[in-house]
Amino acid sequence: MNFNLIKANLNLYAVIKNLEDLTVHDKEMKELISNWNLSIQFIVRNGPRAFVEFATGKCNVGQGRMKNPSIILYFFSPLHLNKMFDGTANPIPLKGITKIGFLTKEFPKLTDRLAYYLKPDDDLLKNENYLKINTIMLMNTAAFAIPEIAGYDKTGKIIASHMPEGIIEMKILPDFHSVNITFSHDRITSQKGKADKPSAVMAMKNVKIANAFLNGKTDAFTAIATGDVVIKGVIPMLDATSLLLDRIPEYIS
Amino acid sequence: MKIYNYKKSHALFKKAAEIIPCGIYGHYSPSPLVPATAYPFYTAKAKGSRIWDVDGNEFIDYMCAYGPMVTGYGNPKIEAAAAKQNKLGNCTTAVPPIMVELAEYMTDLIPCADWAFFAKNGGDVTNYAVMVARAATGRDKILMISGGYHGVSPWMQTAGHHGVMDDDKKNVIAIKWNDIAQFEKTVSENKGKIACFISSPYHHPVFCDNEYPADGYWQSIEKICRREGIVIITDDIRAGFRLDMRGSNEFFGYKSDLICYCKALANGYPISALVGSKDLMNAASKVFYTGSYWFSAVPMAAALANLKEMKRTNAPAFMLKQGEKLLNSMVKIASNYGYDLKVSGAPSMPYLRITNDPSLMLHQEWCAECTKRGAYFTSHHNWFISTAHDDKDIKKTWDIVDDAFKAIKKKFGDEFQL
Repeated sequence: MNFNLIKANLNLYAVIKNLEDLTVHDKEMKELISNWNLSIQFIVRNGPRAFVEFATGKCNVGQGRMKNPSIILYFFSPLHLNKMFDGTANPIPLKGITKIGFLTKEFPKLTDRLAYYLKPDDDLLKNENYLKINTIMLMNTAAFAIPEIAGYDKTGKIIASHMPEGIIEMKILPDFHSVNITFSHDRITSQKGKADKPSAVMAMKNVKIANAFLNGKTDAFTAIATGDVVIKGVIPMLDATSLLLDRIPEYIS
Repeated sequence: MKIYNYKKSHALFKKAAEIIPCGIYGHYSPSPLVPATAYPFYTAKAKGSRIWDVDGNEFIDYMCAYGPMVTGYGNPKIEAAAAKQNKLGNCTTAVPPIMVELAEYMTDLIPCADWAFFAKNGGDVTNYAVMVARAATGRDKILMISGGYHGVSPWMQTAGHHGVMDDDKKNVIAIKWNDIAQFEKTVSENKGKIACFISSPYHHPVFCDNEYPADGYWQSIEKICRREGIVIITDDIRAGFRLDMRGSNEFFGYKSDLICYCKALANGYPISALVGSKDLMNAASKVFYTGSYWFSAVPMAAALANLKEMKRTNAPAFMLKQGEKLLNSMVKIASNYGYDLKVSGAPSMPYLRITNDPSLMLHQEWCAECTKRGAYFTSHHNWFISTAHDDKDIKKTWDIVDDAFKAIKKKFGDEFQL
């Protein structure tokens, strides 16, 4: 599995997934999509496939193919997709030519806003709402990146091979946001929300602490010792997850 | 029962975190202590089986500094020997004569030992043992048990950890404990390439039940290794002198080519040792391996005094007996509350787990409750018994255990009942 394929997987399966929360938590974006009723299928030759659906004021992002999308965007290679994410290439529209206007004018408003939230600086993080949305996105990206890193990255595969089976729950207190990741020997899957019976839990005391922790600004060991981050359960699962998370910046910043 | 708080400990940690990576690093890191806030981080003083933290809380210490304390903190006999040597000299230009005396004592004590080499930490000698095996065989591969711990050199760590490169692990093959068929298969697939098999005498990983060797396991391993010219390295860093003064390999009935010692060797003074068979002495001589403090006389004097004291009192037998006494009643107390407390490994260094909750969360809660009442229990690592753990300590521990189970039961009710 090469670098560009893993990066493409992360872009389509972890980064784009954040459109769901963007359109819930950012008022302007919520308003923007309120009347959208269409879907976009991303197809990457020898690479990942994902779709984004807009209906009844909600956005849903899924993996694989969907039935009868409004627009199909084709990419010659994972590198082609990654270049589009970097703003240096355009996709090939295979379906939905009549919606070019949407693709060139409306949809970029959403993706530009996504990029805005995913590229924080210290000033932006002083804004409470920005901090909240950035934190949610960091946590989602981490959760949905883990199956890709564990499944395809060379070192990630070694780390995952030592991972006990079970469910990890990562959450921000008090009941702010949570994700869970299920590890079984043949499959790793991520979901938003709490887990019924997690094998291991990582709970961050509040949004500010979670943001610093997920942005790599605080040392995990120190945060655990001070009680800012509480871990419990099958700790080796959390150790391995932490190593997997540390692999993400190899592909996306 | 009084519940401890750790205000000073945690305040000191915050200061430490500004100037020391992780605040407290390595195996002393609070991160596997769950929750970390239930544990003290700094010891103010220690005596016998007890430690006192910087908040003035007193603990019966069942971690024994993760093993080195074996005959009691501040044991007068060991301290006297160390003090006497310190007056004569410690780290000096020429080697102290006590080094020869200690080597002689260890080679008399341990049947597999024809020579002894001294260093500081366990990882020094596990690494040296592998180098000796490679020098002796001309082979590069290292066979070890998956989940086994031999120190922190890159080859010893799990792949994927920071600072560990793929190349560091390319000659390490990890196999399952107690699986003779896999051992035989691996040896066959790597015929003539494996320098050594390094393993603890029994499997004592963290976070899971410890396992004794199955009947005939070590004898089969020994037979295969002799046939294939593979050097057997026993990592007795943790179990050494807590099962048998002659070496844990004697306890389990097999001969080892090299044996690594550290923790219980000198009751807290920094020294480790590799002992080996005559066949490997020449190879050991050829490997250049040294350290600034490896010739310090004080730890050698402490080791000699400690080994003599342990032999005189048959310390391993006492610790095994005290461990059994402690644990048998703890299991009964647990069952009174509807909890199944499973004990594995040697009673002198037991691993415990409440089986009612496979996620370990219940067990972590209980260990934390015990610690907050004065019995320092970790939930992830085997504990250690010392010769200083007397019947008074055991009785007090039972009271703490009972009170902690009461607290757990109150918190969770019947949630985890089997």
